[in-house]
Amino acid sequence: MKGGILKLLIVVVGLNIFFAYIGLYFLPQSESRPPKETKIEKGITQEDLIAVGEQIVFSKGQCMVCHPVKVEVGMRAPAISTIGAEMEKSAKERNMKMENYVFEALVDPSAYIQKGFENMMPSIHKPPTSLTDGELIAVAAYLQSKGAKVTISYPESVPILKEEIDKEAKKGGK
Amino acid sequence: MADVSPSKSLIKGVIKLTLFLGIGFAVLFILNKVLAAPTEDGYRFFPVIGSRVWVWVIAQLHLNFAAFVLGVPIFAVSMEFIGWRRNDERLDRIAYDFTKLFTLAYTLTAAVGTILLISLPVLYPKFIDHLMKILGPTWWVYVVVMYVETLVCYYYFYSWKQMKGNKKGKHVALGGLLNIMGMTMLLITSAWVGYMTTPGGVSDTGELINRWHAIKTYMWIPLSLHRLVANVVFGAGIAAAYAAYRFITAENDEQRAYYDWMGYTSAMISIGFSLILPGVGYMLGVEIYTFNEQMGIQLMGGFFAWLWVMQAILIGAILMFVNYYLWISLNKMPGGERYFKYVKFLFIVNLLSYAVWLTPHSIALSLEEARRMGAYHPVLGSLGVMASKNTAVVVSYMATFLSFTIFKISNKEPVVSWAKLGHAIRAFVIVGSTVAAIAIGIYSYMVTSAVRVKILSPIQFGIFFLSIIILFVLDSMMYKGAKIIGEPKWGKMPERSQYALIGITVTFTWLMAMMGYMRSGGRQFWHVYGIMKDTSPDAYLPTHGYAAVVSSIVTVIFFALIGLLFWSIMKLEKASEKGGAKT
Repeated sequence: MKGGILKLLIVVVGLNIFFAYIGLYFLPQSESRPPKETKIEKGITQEDLIAVGEQIVFSKGQCMVCHPVKVEVGMRAPAISTIGAEMEKSAKERNMKMENYVFEALVDPSAYIQKGFENMMPSIHKPPTSLTDGELIAVAAYLQSKGAKVTISYPESVPILKEEIDKEAKKGGK
Repeated sequence: MADVSPSKSLIKGVIKLTLFLGIGFAVLFILNKVLAAPTEDGYRFFPVIGSRVWVWVIAQLHLNFAAFVLGVPIFAVSMEFIGWRRNDERLDRIAYDFTKLFTLAYTLTAAVGTILLISLPVLYPKFIDHLMKILGPTWWVYVVVMYVETLVCYYYFYSWKQMKGNKKGKHVALGGLLNIMGMTMLLITSAWVGYMTTPGGVSDTGELINRWHAIKTYMWIPLSLHRLVANVVFGAGIAAAYAAYRFITAENDEQRAYYDWMGYTSAMISIGFSLILPGVGYMLGVEIYTFNEQMGIQLMGGFFAWLWVMQAILIGAILMFVNYYLWISLNKMPGGERYFKYVKFLFIVNLLSYAVWLTPHSIALSLEEARRMGAYHPVLGSLGVMASKNTAVVVSYMATFLSFTIFKISNKEPVVSWAKLGHAIRAFVIVGSTVAAIAIGIYSYMVTSAVRVKILSPIQFGIFFLSIIILFVLDSMMYKGAKIIGEPKWGKMPERSQYALIGITVTFTWLMAMMGYMRSGGRQFWHVYGIMKDTSPDAYLPTHGYAAVVSSIVTVIFFALIGLLFWSIMKLEKASEKGGAKT
């Protein structure tokens, strides 16, 4: 009986040590820290704006959770590498200015869904993503740079962004 | 213990619960007076290990005990009912033993719950104030239901002997009431978690708009269902561990035979109900995706992607333990040796499925890494997707169901005239459903994720459930009045089989701790997702290794307490035997 209890203890403690060992030594180790706000300075060059936008797309924006880098079968959302060109095409189809279209896609994504995709993108100026105006402009410039001419700049594009945010607020979107 | 009269047991229950609540509120009051005021953003800090780890450990321990005391009554009462209708004393005895377990576990549940009751408002006052503002009335309903549940539980257990015979129906009804109370508590606590993760009924700044909407969140019902099923799986697992403990410490063959049967029954309830878990887990996942696609994807394929590999390791281990247990069990079945030759094939099928299940989608941990390598690993990316994993899960569950079927029929010979046709139908259903599941898995690569998630995966699981229902009905008809080669030799099991049962329960408990962490971690750096930010120094997700160590610590503490419970039951039984009273 005593031997049985000892074996039982070994099984319980041993399995727990084994699982902790797998967690410690077989799984990759990294922490996930809350994103920091990126300050965009007035008069920032478009190259720098695009670089900042790229950083946000792959970090605070969490765009990579759904958007693949390259086109792939069964993708949930349009691929980043060609997204500027796709947006330009859709803006023309909808007879919209490119800047308005890009901002609308960020703050009111349900307004227009590209064919073949589902309505699943949240408005990223709202929680939990909560990008600031400057960050939204940087992201928009980066997206434009993927196959279209970059026309968005900071702070010149702020009024167009505000226009789209106001439109979304009036719609009472989530 | 059972020599307490039912009416006295009610007084005992009220005193115990009031004492715990009283101590909880008194300590809370004193600590709020004695301790320094919380920081400006509403935090106090637990010494050495920090507030997060402290609450993490206590909350998970409380959740484990709560799962146990809510899960076991479901099948205990069902068994009492069946035992009563069939006039089966053995079923009544096992139902009574299950009831003994959860009744005595109530004290531990309340003790850990009291520590949690003190810890949360002391360490996270601002967050708890917010929760009380939004869901406060539900907390008071919870307290009332807790009293009623405890009283019903005590009365149910302590009146067992007195309410035999013509009062049995009333006693079973009492058990039904106990389960209704348990489910109400489950619904209330799931509403709290649901609000934190998928909030509703409040403005962007957290002002209450509609309390009912704050209760009825996306997560509420699917989480409750998932917990309900998981509680039964977990509760039955602990009961199996208890039986294994009693088998190992048994002093005679009669005890060994009874606890072998109890262990087998509990383990099969646990595994049987676990078959439903992927389905209700899927429903929960769909609701999370519907609430916020980003949260869903972050949980499934973002930072937590590797923990799904860990989950696969754990569930695969559980299935291996179960299959091993069933294969050893063939030794106690007269005629079981005829089926040994199939075991190696089932082992290979399980092993291959396990390997696919374990394949990670990407070896990247962060989005930065994913970007560098082009989102997914070129080789693992194609095997590590849900299309192949779902298929592997279905196939390995099918193999485990077959192990169970083999055990069940191993000591029987069908006598029906259509037995050959029956065997052919069985083979067709097994092969056909497996081929269909694999074909759907392959086709899933060629469609959009929406079609796979919403159409193909449910069909795949549907085929599995349909086939096990067909097999179950077929075997029931085919083996009705079958020739029995010999009765199972309960108790004639090697001791190592019992460690497999313990292994199932330890692994499941660890899995619960990890999944609890993932469910909570899905909110990332939010107390209430998108509404109330976590601004404490703990507002980050730790490494997987760190989370694994905490999960192990929780599981070891839980088993130490459960071991204490098992030991106390044996002590009380011995004391009752010495005193001449029956337990």
